[in-house]
Amino acid sequence: MKNIFFIIDKPLHGNIQTQEFIDIALMAAAFDQRVLMLFEGDGVYALLQQQTPEAIGLKNSSPLLKALSVYDINDVFVEAESMRERGLSSEQFVIEVNVCPRAELKQQQETADQLFSF
Amino acid sequence: MKISIQINASPYQHQAADSAWHFIQAALVAGHQIYRVFFYHDGIYNALRDSRPPGDERDIVKRWSALQAEHGIDLVVCVSSAQRRGLLEQSVARKVGGYEAALADGFRIAGLGLLMEAIIDADRHICFGS
Repeated sequence: MKNIFFIIDKPLHGNIQTQEFIDIALMAAAFDQRVLMLFEGDGVYALLQQQTPEAIGLKNSSPLLKALSVYDINDVFVEAESMRERGLSSEQFVIEVNVCPRAELKQQQETADQLFSF
Repeated sequence: MKISIQINASPYQHQAADSAWHFIQAALVAGHQIYRVFFYHDGIYNALRDSRPPGDERDIVKRWSALQAEHGIDLVVCVSSAQRRGLLEQSVARKVGGYEAALADGFRIAGLGLLMEAIIDADRHICFGS
């Protein structure tokens, strides 16, 4: 089993890549790998509740995030600095997350077998 | 070392496909094994048979086909990325009435499972492009 660390730094509906990227994480979990996910930078916006991308003709991808726990992906982190810079709090998010400072997350990343960003 | 490659960007807009190709050449010369090249996101455009760059430019698609022919490297295009962007496998194209000859020589279309297999089995998995 490998530790695979996914870093999401873009919002959910601005491009198809974020959605396709999460597909890889779900597949990794389905293959019994240990998946860790980190939302940082503008990626924290992906977690916001009450998004209505239908208004611009896009499918709502927020249910993808709720599927993470179904796939036993429970190590979901948000970088505290990214949240603070954007004035967000974890109560605004669609799923439960671990809020961690940048320095701590860097240590976590160093233990990963594979880092994925896009 | 067993190395797996992932390409996430289209061939001519980004340097990813060029960098990956040069990296693979160097890795082979150094005696490493290329486990698989997986084309994801807009990377699927690397597999378009009808790509016709001007004659005095590098032909990225043909270069991949040649790499497969010479070294037997497994070139896999993600099925869902490809279908979303209009690149269909022959059997699927036949079924839905699409263009049947879209995929260049040496490539095959398959699911994300093959990406996971590569990540798990290879010593290193390296992504090119975003």
